[in-house]
Amino acid sequence: MLSSMNLYSRGDKLFVIINMILLGLFTISTLYPFIYITSLSMSSGFEARAGNVILTPMGFTLEAYKRVLSEPMFWISYKNTLIYTVLGTLTSLAFIIPGAYALSRPQLYGRRFWNLAVAFTMWFHAGMIPFFLNMRDLNLLDSYFGIIIGFAVNGFNIILLRNFFEGIPQSFEEAARMDGANEFQVLWKVFVPLSKPAIATVALFCIVSRWNGFFWAMILLQDESKIPLQVYLRQIIVELSDDEEFANTLMSAGYSFETVSAAIIVCSIIPILLIYPFLQKYFNKGILLGGVKE
Amino acid sequence: MSGVRLDKIVKSYGAVQVVHGIDLEIKDKEFVVLVGPSGCGKSTTLRMIAGLEEISDGSLTIDDRVVNRVAPKDRDVAMVFQNYALYPHLNVADNIAFGLRIRKESKDAIKASVDEVGAILGLTPYLERRPSDLSGGQRQRVAMGRAIVRRPKVFLFDEPLSNLDAKLRTQMRAEIKRLHKRLEATSIYVTHDQVEAMTLADKIVVMQDGRIEQIGTPMELFLNPANAFVAGFLGAPPMNMINAVVAKGENGPIASFDGQTLPLPALPDLQNAEGRPIIVGIRPEYANIVTAPQPGSVNCTLNLVETLGSEALLHATVGDDQFVIRTETLGKIDQLDHVNGFTVDPTLIRIFDAKTGKALGGQTRVA
Repeated sequence: MLSSMNLYSRGDKLFVIINMILLGLFTISTLYPFIYITSLSMSSGFEARAGNVILTPMGFTLEAYKRVLSEPMFWISYKNTLIYTVLGTLTSLAFIIPGAYALSRPQLYGRRFWNLAVAFTMWFHAGMIPFFLNMRDLNLLDSYFGIIIGFAVNGFNIILLRNFFEGIPQSFEEAARMDGANEFQVLWKVFVPLSKPAIATVALFCIVSRWNGFFWAMILLQDESKIPLQVYLRQIIVELSDDEEFANTLMSAGYSFETVSAAIIVCSIIPILLIYPFLQKYFNKGILLGGVKE
Repeated sequence: MSGVRLDKIVKSYGAVQVVHGIDLEIKDKEFVVLVGPSGCGKSTTLRMIAGLEEISDGSLTIDDRVVNRVAPKDRDVAMVFQNYALYPHLNVADNIAFGLRIRKESKDAIKASVDEVGAILGLTPYLERRPSDLSGGQRQRVAMGRAIVRRPKVFLFDEPLSNLDAKLRTQMRAEIKRLHKRLEATSIYVTHDQVEAMTLADKIVVMQDGRIEQIGTPMELFLNPANAFVAGFLGAPPMNMINAVVAKGENGPIASFDGQTLPLPALPDLQNAEGRPIIVGIRPEYANIVTAPQPGSVNCTLNLVETLGSEALLHATVGDDQFVIRTETLGKIDQLDHVNGFTVDPTLIRIFDAKTGKALGGQTRVA
């Protein structure tokens, strides 16, 4: 890097150095909360309360994790989040992929209108109360199905995938048709394999949004056995901070309200961190390389 | 019989008509080339035959069945695309097998067919490779393999060689010709390259502005072009055109232009036609160079000599018209820079009406 810097002018060098400093600060600002929360979750309750945890765990202990993992509600909400994330993402893709494909086809009757209708939903919503009433009238409150189907389709993801489909040369579709493929086979055997990077991106958006889904789950789910992790996290933070009995045990226990909260947060973000490397391989360009000569 | 018949086929995009009611009959096993400049409607016509474009009017018959409303997959035709259109996520074998798998043929049958086609096209060593790992020529062969593996009634080629370099194009042209002889399948081939058309075709269809200008064998079109457009399109370099008027000569009609005259063939249309504006067509290879004026020779101004080895192209002007002479270099190389005119056998001259561009009657020649 330094040797190649010789090729830069003085102004360029200054630009690169400022860039590196800014990016370094940005990296620290995004990485530090994660490091802090992880360290906090592994620190003793006393050190956490005293505000001594800055970068590394102080009075290392896993008591907070033991407390969290021994909580039956934690596992129930974890299971619920997994259900919402896995089934929700699959359902979303099942709607988004064919929808995006249809909108990308020039032969779709009223294509402009349908595209506009989908894009419209990106900017304008009915609002919280009408949506809640709608879900209530459809008997979708307090149900897994309500959460999964109610948020299955997202205009932004459809437009994103539609744009990718539109970029696939028409000759692939025509070649498949000449080879005898019907509409579904063209989509499934040609467009979907060629669109893995875009589908992986959309899938990741769906996964993250489902995993972090909090607000609507809180509004639409009253049954505790169906709440997702994020809602449980909020419950435990609110409840424990008011719980006098819990606070009284802190002096004798190795954990505190802060360390337990941090442990839950760490447990809730680990799956997302683990998924990304598996999807990352699809975020490569050039999958269309060599198929057509433009 | 796998013939194809086009009856008054029309293609319109909204109010704009791009193919104007063309009639064409392609016989079983025939290799027909649609040729013409960009935008003449040849690819649109091919795509209508493939079923990739709707037919606005007229009827298309394949194997004695009207297929206007039949989906591409049910027409039993295969197409080789200009840009290959190979599926990049599949290897060569899977690309070739794609259509067979869609048709749910047995695994053994698919493997046998892929192996056979791979052997025919010299692709056996590359069956496991992805398209991105192949050269342009190999990719084009895979595209052809994908077409021939299904043994369709009709092969359609949409400018399949236009993305290849000149050497590979010549090589692939020969391969296509060999393949057609071997498979004996009805083939329709679109190109704007008249050399491809001349070398490959049993029958050439010359198109312009959505209309057929002439249909015939390559030599029929070369020797007896129906109009100035066909004459100018076929041949490399194309036929020279000199604007002239008919005048009366001592031994028959002559062409008068730029203060010069040229004896014309004694066509019935030229009798008593003094003053009629005509276009005199002379193929570059039929003009014989002279370095000093001779009786019956036409003077020209030499601008450029392109030496190609065994032959040379002399770029000249006759009046306001460009004129190219193709001549052998053997024994003439010292004369080339001093050429100031040419002679031509009147029987080799083609005459076209200056207004309509149509060839004047009675000029039929055979090779």
